[in-house]
Amino acid sequence: MPVMAESEQLPVQPAREGSPAAWDALFRRYQLPLYVYVFELVRNEQTSLDVVQETFIAAVKHIDSLRDDEKFGSWLFGIAYQKIIQLWRKRGGKELLLDEIPESPNEFDDAPDDLLIRREQEAEFMNLLNQLPLPQRSVLLLHFVEEFSLDEIARITETQIGTVKSRLHYAKKSLRKLLERKNENAA
Amino acid sequence: MKTPREILLERHKNVAPKLDAIRCECVGQASSLSRNKMSETGKMPVLLLVWRELIFPSRRIWTSLAAIWIFIFIVNFSMRDRSEVALAKIAAPSSQMILAQERLLAELTETEPRIAEPAKTFSPRPSSERKIQIVTT
Repeated sequence: MPVMAESEQLPVQPAREGSPAAWDALFRRYQLPLYVYVFELVRNEQTSLDVVQETFIAAVKHIDSLRDDEKFGSWLFGIAYQKIIQLWRKRGGKELLLDEIPESPNEFDDAPDDLLIRREQEAEFMNLLNQLPLPQRSVLLLHFVEEFSLDEIARITETQIGTVKSRLHYAKKSLRKLLERKNENAA
Repeated sequence: MKTPREILLERHKNVAPKLDAIRCECVGQASSLSRNKMSETGKMPVLLLVWRELIFPSRRIWTSLAAIWIFIFIVNFSMRDRSEVALAKIAAPSSQMILAQERLLAELTETEPRIAEPAKTFSPRPSSERKIQIVTT
């Protein structure tokens, strides 16, 4: 799956005007990252595919409400997030993505690429990712998969930037700790 | 060494055909939706079209313009009220007030107050009567 550069020019305006080719390009660009994000939260293939489809249809219907074309990606992920919340509400689940973390750390210096994982650690990484609490996992996935900024993640998950910052910090910290422990055990 | 993004995307590569199918379906829906939108726009009444195309996209600007106009009207009305009151105050004093002022002035200067003579009423005589007088003298 080819991934466009960060400074990509998305054909949002032609899509708004109803161009099928533009919609095709937009969906092609986001289908896999969106699916990954949804799947890693929902843990079910069919449900994840349904959520992706519903998200795309909602995007087509409500494209006029998107003000900043450059924010199309975060807007799309925001729709998917809302769909996941609706899904959990329908199933009578608790607000799993809305728990609070006590304090907000000041530092946020990590880039998404700074965590490099060796081939033999991949399975372990996925296992550790799934062990994280859902709010932390959601924020971490948005950070890893699309490299969204804190502000964008806050908008997608409808939380304060401070909360996003602390979730990301704790998620990375625990992930690193677990990976280091595994490395020590292996050595 | 791989980034988490690479690992995550690689793990779900096998879903790509299913996602492609979903994408094709959604693109089809998008084109039919846009066609419907265009036909709706064609049938739409002019006022609604103006609202959607001209007013709604820049509704904040229109609202602020309306607010400015309302403010101007309010200021205008309040200014007009004040000028009317001022005019009423400046209006000519009544004859009673003039008399009272004259009396006060007379008391201060110890002179007899002038009694205003009643205005002479002019009663024109018939011109025929005057002619007769001329004839008799």
